[in-house]
Amino acid sequence: MSAEQQIRNYVLENYLFTDEQAALDNNDSFLEKGILDSTGILEVIYFLEDEFQIKVEDEDMVPENLDSINRIVAYLDKKMNNHG
Amino acid sequence: MTLSLVHMLHRSVKRYPNSEALVYKAHRISYKNLWDSIIAIASFLKNDGLNQGDRVAIFVENSPEYVEAYYGILIAGGVAVGLNTAAKARDINNLIRHCDAKYLISHSTLAETGKIIQNLEKEINVILIGELAHYDIKNRLNAWDSVIRSNITSIDLKELDNANKLAAIIYTSGTTGSPKGVMLSHGNLANNMESILDYLKLQHTDSILNVLPFYYTYGNSVLHTHLAVGATCIIENNTAFPHKLLSLMVKEKVTGFSGVPSTFALLMSRIKLSEYDLSNVRYMTQAGGAMPPANILRLKNELPHIKFFVMYGQTEATARLTYLPPEKLDEKLGSIGIPIKGVNIEIRDENGNKVQENTTGEICVNGENVMMGYWNDVELTNKAIIDGWLKTGDLAHYDSDGYIYIDGRSSEMIKTGAHRISPKEIEEVVAELEEIEEVAAYGVEDEIMGQVIKLAVVLRPDSSITMKEILLHCKSNLATYKIPKYIEFMSSIPKTASGKIKRFQLQESNS
Repeated sequence: MSAEQQIRNYVLENYLFTDEQAALDNNDSFLEKGILDSTGILEVIYFLEDEFQIKVEDEDMVPENLDSINRIVAYLDKKMNNHG
Repeated sequence: MTLSLVHMLHRSVKRYPNSEALVYKAHRISYKNLWDSIIAIASFLKNDGLNQGDRVAIFVENSPEYVEAYYGILIAGGVAVGLNTAAKARDINNLIRHCDAKYLISHSTLAETGKIIQNLEKEINVILIGELAHYDIKNRLNAWDSVIRSNITSIDLKELDNANKLAAIIYTSGTTGSPKGVMLSHGNLANNMESILDYLKLQHTDSILNVLPFYYTYGNSVLHTHLAVGATCIIENNTAFPHKLLSLMVKEKVTGFSGVPSTFALLMSRIKLSEYDLSNVRYMTQAGGAMPPANILRLKNELPHIKFFVMYGQTEATARLTYLPPEKLDEKLGSIGIPIKGVNIEIRDENGNKVQENTTGEICVNGENVMMGYWNDVELTNKAIIDGWLKTGDLAHYDSDGYIYIDGRSSEMIKTGAHRISPKEIEEVVAELEEIEEVAAYGVEDEIMGQVIKLAVVLRPDSSITMKEILLHCKSNLATYKIPKYIEFMSSIPKTASGKIKRFQLQESNS
């Protein structure tokens, strides 16, 4: 399963309570759409660290990296490539 | 005589016209420019037919527009009703109906705004910030941009000298049947602001990063106290990214920061505060529930130079009731401190008699900050205020030095983050599902949020509804912060002989 699909499934299952893929667009802002609140973002960070064996650094915790599926995928891509 | 909020702001405008009052994203708004917008809004409302005491609902996130609307309404003689922007349209429409608002000021970027406007039951004048194109009700729709360019009419601030005049309604719970709207007078707001300024010693050189919603009493008081002294309020609505918040505090060289326990828990959950240059921060304040002493000590260890104020209050008391002087923090850790200036506190037993030290009773308070009552609910008001004393519902005791310690709450409200939620708000929504026979909502402890919501659910025989389907229904009908974190299916819900849910028993089974 791709990283994108894994993250999508996690958000759909835990915050939108549905399997319906159409319920979430990859560009939807989690915060503006009310999908996640501040603790939800924290939970997503822990999910990413567990699932993808990365460390989300302080300076990485910004909306540009974490506030949509596409942003997380791009962040993961950058992070995992940087670390070989 | 205590000056009203508006008079205090006007004094700041005259003293510091070019100082920054508000900073929001790329906007930096001086006191003079803020005042000009406020007067334009007040003029529009007066010319448009707002009568003294008419309610104006504000469904706008923290922003300069919120502040301009709030003060404009007060100057026009109206009553400001700030509404929770995290709430769903059905709750907001219910509150607009409950307070019989004559105007609604809203922002087109909020997802619920369209639904709210479509579902307004009666003719209400809407003032919309942002894009108007999507709304097909132009006959009673005004664009904010044209409102703030209104012709200025003469404004007489003397009308605000009546301390007993209703200024604001703050809703503390939004159950369909009985929303609780706390009525605050100009005198309530002014007196509590003065008491807060007395211990925080704010000056015009101060600046605060505010993340607390203005529609709740804590954020409301942070805003007014800073504007009253000519200080700067930097508005940031997003607490999800601690690094961003702290970087902003460094960049703006803020001198103050206020939060609820979950704000500080989130800030410290993954970040070392000591790695940021917060040398300009003079003080931090905490209210909105008990902050674990371990977190207070951690904060103090990381930022030893700041004064950390533990505070306690209630919307029904305008905002603030007690504070713990920072120099007593170590000695009296866990205490909510002593009454602020102008507030009398008695801890009473169930017969109304004052208790001795180290004996638990209910906190009862008296002072110019005690609310006028609940909007349109005399019965509830008479239960809450007896002979001028407000019964807070909070249980506490004094120590031998007169410092107060909270022992528990007699109320069933769930405290999660900055929010207070009546369990009934959630139960009403879940009970709409036909397959649910009984439901009880209650708070369970959470390291970050203080409490999160748990549901006990009894299904009808042969029901096949799943947890996910219940949560999906909640997601569709409740604000995000009201969605239960846990659901437990049970065969029955514990109740008293009179049929009242035993929430404490449910809570105890989870501790």
